[in-house]
Amino acid sequence: MRALLTLGLMLLAVPVLAAGADVSPGPKPARLPDGKPNMTGFWSPVGGLLDRNFGPGAEVAKTTGAQGAQIPRSPHSPLKSPYKEKYETGLKDAAAGIVRYDPTGLCMPPGMPRMMGAIYGMELLQTAGQVTITSEWQAASRRIWTDGTKHPPEDELLATFAGHSVGHWEGDTLVVDTVGVRDDVLIDQSGLPVSDAQRITERIYLKEPGILVAEITVTDPKVFETPWTHVRRYRHRPELRLQEFVCAENNRNVGSNGEPVFP
Amino acid sequence: MRKHTLAALLSGVLLAWPAFAHHSFAMFDRNAQVEIEGVVKEFQFTNPHSWIQVMVTPADGGAPKEWSIEALSPNVLGRAGWKKNTLKPGDRIKLLINPLRDGNAGGNLLLVTLPDGTKLGGGA
Repeated sequence: MRALLTLGLMLLAVPVLAAGADVSPGPKPARLPDGKPNMTGFWSPVGGLLDRNFGPGAEVAKTTGAQGAQIPRSPHSPLKSPYKEKYETGLKDAAAGIVRYDPTGLCMPPGMPRMMGAIYGMELLQTAGQVTITSEWQAASRRIWTDGTKHPPEDELLATFAGHSVGHWEGDTLVVDTVGVRDDVLIDQSGLPVSDAQRITERIYLKEPGILVAEITVTDPKVFETPWTHVRRYRHRPELRLQEFVCAENNRNVGSNGEPVFP
Repeated sequence: MRKHTLAALLSGVLLAWPAFAHHSFAMFDRNAQVEIEGVVKEFQFTNPHSWIQVMVTPADGGAPKEWSIEALSPNVLGRAGWKKNTLKPGDRIKLLINPLRDGNAGGNLLLVTLPDGTKLGGGA
């Protein structure tokens, strides 16, 4: 009898414990056992590539102006020198069809904040003391410590692509602070790099059922005159799971000297 | 005051981030669309991009020339219904592309017409 009871309790306990990391297809409970909003799952940006039809009846992508889709989208705020000059050079090169070095073209991770663009989608996992976000693009992964971990002291902070992120909950909003991003990470395709002074604050919350919002505020006093905020919206895709994306599998866009090439 | 500052910040920077992965598309002439017709040599359904190797016979009847056409990755195309055998060696297909600016035999896929007439998207 006791054995049966124990077995029964184990069977009950397993789904509850697993709920925090349930990425199986299908609907999910609105809250996790710890009471936090359930953000676990696969998310794709609203209006992104996974919202477009590439099957029968697909429309031809629009070409918008002389540079088409290649107009860099930065700057997000007035730039300081020498970043202003770097940005303007990038703009001229793109207009002239010159392909410039972009670390992601060599299969490097996009880094922060670019990886939160999550062009294909991203997997968010909530586990005890940690939120893990993996962008399908380059399989770029970041860990947000929610167990009270602090940033390391300056001289112990190792610069990384994703940086060092700590988070806490303010009601149903996950507030994240990120420092320690490498200064060769680019903000976007404009070629504009971040600096070692970059600090990123995010407010991540569920706006409505099935919509996740990340308000991403970048403070980088070496690059930008003022902080700027990008608001990104993601759609829950319960039918999808993160797929493997190994960029080095068949990267034909890089030459033996590391320069971008085609094909 | 703080509220106003935040509102100003939010309103000013609701910018789209580029949709393209991996590399600049500056190599392609995004204003030009050309259609080529040829026979599939190989379909690479791979990351970070898929590739269609296609043999195209020039209008003047010369020897067929191999073109390299770049398309989106399997995570996008597969979710839109493409399969690894959607294009098979020997298939005669039409490809609408943005050609390379430098005139070499390559381009960015816009639409592919399969042997049965089905048209599929395949590039951004």
